[in-house]
Amino acid sequence: MSVVVKIPTPLRKFAAGQRRVEVPAGTVGAVLSALVTGSPELADRLYAGDGLLKPTVRVFVGETDIEALGGLAADAADGAVVSIIPPVAGA
Amino acid sequence: MSQRDLSRYDRQMLLPEVGREGQERLLAGRVAVAGCGALGSLAAALLARAGVGYLRLIDRDFVELNNLQRQTLYDEDDVRSGVPKAIAARDRLLRANSDIEIEAVVTDLDPGTALAALGGVDVIIDAVDNFEGRYLLNDVAIHLGTPWVYGAVISTYGLTMDVIPGQTACLQCLLPQPPAPGTVETCAVAGILAPVVGVVASLQVTEGLKMLLGRDDLRLGLCEVDVWEGELETRSIARNPECPACVHHRLEHLQAQTESRTVSLCGQDAVQVTVRDHAGLSLPALAAALEPSARVSLTPFLLRIAVEGYEMSVFPDGRAIIKGTTDPATARALYSKYVGV
Repeated sequence: MSVVVKIPTPLRKFAAGQRRVEVPAGTVGAVLSALVTGSPELADRLYAGDGLLKPTVRVFVGETDIEALGGLAADAADGAVVSIIPPVAGA
Repeated sequence: MSQRDLSRYDRQMLLPEVGREGQERLLAGRVAVAGCGALGSLAAALLARAGVGYLRLIDRDFVELNNLQRQTLYDEDDVRSGVPKAIAARDRLLRANSDIEIEAVVTDLDPGTALAALGGVDVIIDAVDNFEGRYLLNDVAIHLGTPWVYGAVISTYGLTMDVIPGQTACLQCLLPQPPAPGTVETCAVAGILAPVVGVVASLQVTEGLKMLLGRDDLRLGLCEVDVWEGELETRSIARNPECPACVHHRLEHLQAQTESRTVSLCGQDAVQVTVRDHAGLSLPALAAALEPSARVSLTPFLLRIAVEGYEMSVFPDGRAIIKGTTDPATARALYSKYVGV
């Protein structure tokens, strides 16, 4: 029972260079907590000080924004793909 | 060449999505390209060659050697002459298509300049290199009701999204707050592979052309690209029903104070000083005054001053880019000492 989290290029250096990380299925909150375990820098990129996601980070389960699924309480079931979209400013 | 000679667009008009009627629409179209760096220079080239009748190319900076790897409109002559990017881009593209009008605007987009710089067009292509400018662009587009196409790149990765004020999610729906300074990597730190610029700028221009053509098949949603992985995915972004910008029209970035300001330039060892009261500034007079104490170089577009280990580029509107420091106080002091406006 696992999900795949896709790590976008700008965040990979905070995830030991991994493109995809497999973690146990669960809520999106649990999935992301498992993802950042052992990587405080990645946690800093994803979370605001209050434990909520930064407003500059969007997370999707499959094609669907978790905002439409209940936020961090959304279900990331077995086999799901979770994608993280970071803010990008360059031109 | 007559404006009615459309033969240069033959291959484009063969597309059923364009046709002769569509080409006429493009020739009647007006587009602003906000930023003439990597995305902007390529977007401008694609728009010019597609025959968009009026282009406004907006940029605050001049061409530097490290731009040439990805900013495909410029060359080493532009670096040597220190020409502003907007001017270089216009001159280059008018040689590719003299059938259209291209206006170069050398300015920094701020709340005092943005409405004039971005007004009077049908579509805006976002090619600015910082979030502050993008939130301002978002506010201007909402204020004017102008569609725009967000685009941003870093490393091998990029994002783009169509924004139709009042219809789609806006930038503030997507990202309710700008990232805190220093929390987002810049191209100067993370680098950039030029092909991602090609993909994102091409997607932006395709959408811009669709908007001009009045098409109803826009690629709505946030498109994520990674050229190294060969991946491209588009996901829906819902409007925020309480968005302060596109729902409630509280345009705080546009309504911000427009006093003189000093900002570090993203990813560069440089600070930009902007002043509102620059009446009376004469670059030739300033060059003459500084010549005994500094190395000065005057071009039709700017005055370059090398002094105290710094390089100051002063524009006719009083704005200056000061290289060699990231400290706003140091930059402000140098500006006061040598420009004194």
